[in-house]
Amino acid sequence: MEQLHIIKRTMEIKAAGEDAALATIIRTKGSTPRKTGSKMIIFLSGRIEGTIGGGCGEAEVIEEAIKVIQLSIPIKHIVDLTKGLFYEDGGICGGIMEVYIEKV
Amino acid sequence: MMNDSLFKKLSESIKLRKEIFLLTITDCDEHELIGFKALLLPMGEFYAASPPPPSLQQMILNHSEKLVKRKRSGTFTFTWNGLKVECFAEYFPVPIHLIIAGAGHVCEPVARIGKMLGFYVTVIDDRNEFANRDRFPHVDEVVCQSFLNFFKKAELTEQTYILLLTRGHKYDVLSLQELLKRQEKPAYIGMIGSRRRISGVFEQLKGDFPKESFDQLFTPVGLDIGAQTPEEIAVSIMAEILKVKNRTSGSSLSLMIRNYAKLGFREGEIKWNSFT
Repeated sequence: MEQLHIIKRTMEIKAAGEDAALATIIRTKGSTPRKTGSKMIIFLSGRIEGTIGGGCGEAEVIEEAIKVIQLSIPIKHIVDLTKGLFYEDGGICGGIMEVYIEKV
Repeated sequence: MMNDSLFKKLSESIKLRKEIFLLTITDCDEHELIGFKALLLPMGEFYAASPPPPSLQQMILNHSEKLVKRKRSGTFTFTWNGLKVECFAEYFPVPIHLIIAGAGHVCEPVARIGKMLGFYVTVIDDRNEFANRDRFPHVDEVVCQSFLNFFKKAELTEQTYILLLTRGHKYDVLSLQELLKRQEKPAYIGMIGSRRRISGVFEQLKGDFPKESFDQLFTPVGLDIGAQTPEEIAVSIMAEILKVKNRTSGSSLSLMIRNYAKLGFREGEIKWNSFT
């Protein structure tokens, strides 16, 4: 099970004393690439494990997650994929998702 | 933040095939509460590393009820002591149990895809050379036992998917004799075979069971994608299992989209998806 696997990874990362953040989709509106509960781990270097859908939305979340790691404060970030059909990277799903990001 | 005892309890529950919810406070005027985590079992058992105030726990329990009943993840908000609290309840379903009887060529890619999809995979065969860990290092269970004894006792629930990929129709007959006798019904029984083999199996069973009991069987297994190699057959079989699990048509998504596309794209106010 993917959800559990990602959580297990966060436990391993924490045990190894590494810095990382966990992002989880907690709400979606309209058509989003991934559903509620999808998770992604973000490291300080910007490396990721898992995905919350790719594209610009994911890039935004990676940036926010790095702040979360640095400040150790959980946040929520809203990814808006409704901004039209012509994103350069192809992120044209047309929905909105709310992502909760916490340090592992 | 997740701690060790919470994680242990969560993974143990899933291992024991008990569904569970992970609760996280994702927003609150009182910042200290953000990140609080607890586990909730459908029978109402609540577990947290450091218990919250009883009135807060009760509020969370009340608001989770609908999601628990529907077996779905979702986010809800409520007011507690004048504070706005938002809580994400994440549903961890019991993993599907895929039982593959017959550890031959088709079994290998089926087991591999099963693991990829997050299923709990058991491989059973009565031959040691086939049912062993060297051949199936990644599956959850490899059982070397007679098909008859295995299916006499195997746990059957609505999360159990059974594939009969045995080497000969007499083993299918033995397995089905046990399976069809059982009171409990699995979600899916698929049996590989040519038309001749299938009619041979039915011929031998028809005296013992009413005709209707064969209606629940998926045989030959798989969706019609022209599969030939073991790998292709595995894709076809697993696609059928997903179709049954997700209760969908199994036809091309483009069939539907072609009709939508004629209507053109539409922009406008959209609502949060259900239960969020």
